Amino acid sequence: MKHHLRAISAIATNTVRDAVRNKVLYILLFFALVLIGTSFLLATLSYVERERILQDVALASIRLFGAAIAIFIGVGLVHREVDRRTIYTILSKPVSRVDFLVGKYLGLVTTLWIQLAVMSAGFVAVSLASGAPVNGGHGIALALTALELAVLVAIATLFSSFATPFLAACYSVGLYMVGHVTRDLRALGALSDAESVGVLTTWLHRLLPDLESFNWTIEAVHGLPIPYDQVAWAALMGVGWCVAFLTTAALVFERRDFR
Amino acid sequence: MNGSDVIVKVSGLVKDFRPGFGLRRKRVLHGIDLQVRRGEVFGFIGPNGAGKTTTLKILMGLIRATEGSAEILGHDVRETAFRRHVGFLPEGPYFYDFLTGREILRFYGKLAGGHAASPESHIDELLEWVGLSQAADLRLRAYSKGMLQRIGIAQALVHDPEVVFLDEPMSGLDPIGRKEIRDLILRLHGEGKTIFMNTHILSDVEVICDRVAIIAEGRVVHEGGAHVLLERERQPFDIAVSGLDPELAESLVTELDAELRGRGERVEVRVREKDVDLTLERILARGGRVRGVAPVNAALEELFLKAVEGGPHEEEGA
Repeated sequence: MKHHLRAISAIATNTVRDAVRNKVLYILLFFALVLIGTSFLLATLSYVERERILQDVALASIRLFGAAIAIFIGVGLVHREVDRRTIYTILSKPVSRVDFLVGKYLGLVTTLWIQLAVMSAGFVAVSLASGAPVNGGHGIALALTALELAVLVAIATLFSSFATPFLAACYSVGLYMVGHVTRDLRALGALSDAESVGVLTTWLHRLLPDLESFNWTIEAVHGLPIPYDQVAWAALMGVGWCVAFLTTAALVFERRDFR
Repeated sequence: MNGSDVIVKVSGLVKDFRPGFGLRRKRVLHGIDLQVRRGEVFGFIGPNGAGKTTTLKILMGLIRATEGSAEILGHDVRETAFRRHVGFLPEGPYFYDFLTGREILRFYGKLAGGHAASPESHIDELLEWVGLSQAADLRLRAYSKGMLQRIGIAQALVHDPEVVFLDEPMSGLDPIGRKEIRDLILRLHGEGKTIFMNTHILSDVEVICDRVAIIAEGRVVHEGGAHVLLERERQPFDIAVSGLDPELAESLVTELDAELRGRGERVEVRVREKDVDLTLERILARGGRVRGVAPVNAALEELFLKAVEGGPHEEEGA
């Protein structure tokens, strides 16, 4: 067990070092910070609720760019190692394929959380500069964004374990978009006259990750009460989805030939 | 042979690949049988596409066999824990080029665990051993191909393995680089390591290997002592001659079964080793000038053809 942890830790640390050298990551981070900054300007266009518009735009920017970075780097996570054949020397050591996959996953999640921390600092700075309040609700919204990013990396890791980066990106973006509408689809399906549509949309909602459950932006920005039981449930589901996607990725990865 | 002396045991190894989605499977290994003994340098030789790397990847757990079994140190190759006793250098290795030589060894040391959670002194020794002490703190992107190959050998040895697998270790290197790697392999052999080496360079086999197996089209077509194999093929000699008397040339062909190549002033006379002295005497006696004498190493492809024509066989007592 100790050896597995050491191998996972070594691979994760190396993944962080590799990822922070990726120039595209800095470009995305730069644009995210620019957008957070311009939310200040956008807010000045309105006479009412300036602080709320500012925080709404800034938090949306964080979620969007966080997802873009998660998918962009996540889809190449395994493929690049196979393509560059660095995986050969790693798996020839007493390192299981599961160790490798978990190490890569944790490394990328750590990288993303560092990025998220930088973006969050930008958010707090812009909010304070414009006199908008920052409270625990914002903290919860950002924490659940962190969890959503972890789920997204798990999705990207799954697709990266068997598909090319382009296909993995298509699948991941598709699942990301569907994941954000399953809740609405279920509500629409319930209104349908055809019973089968209702059943289908309900099952879609059950089978696919409900990524909207991680979105607490409105509550945080408008200072609405946040139901902690729902937050706890979303957190539990988030961890569950991460485990499910990574387990599936490991099963696929175990069977792969590295030719 | 004592069972514990067998370090690598491959039995009836079969591998099928599907070339593409919906296409029929293609068999690339047709029941490979091999044994490598403790302390020997085993050369697995064959042309490109013969199945050498596929076999090695199965041994390294990178590819799953379709049928058959493969064991290293008595462990099924699908296990992972025993790999702390195994080192591997893949063909044309690529490492994280943002790390320095020292950092990459530290990284692989952590992966290997055990003894390899290597103290810095061990890493320094290893860097010294492969002649990279001066470049230890350079990023790998600044390394030459020969240096990468040497750091590759160092990472394969970072956990002091019992058996080392090398895939085309001399491929793509200049003569100096090849000599350096060859010397490293011989030093490893001197330290009692068992070495399994894939190669298609016959001259390396001659210098390094104790035993060889030839693989062609996914089948082992010959297995035996390296020197016996090469000596058999080295019998002919080429004698470069200028001013060869035409009558003598004809008599060499008829009497000694010599082959003549080239026309005009300079020709090459190919004769068997036992006829070299006699041929030289006769050429000089008839006023010919000898420009050079060299043994002919048959190209590997020729060996394959001969081996394939003769069918699979193993030397007695090999």
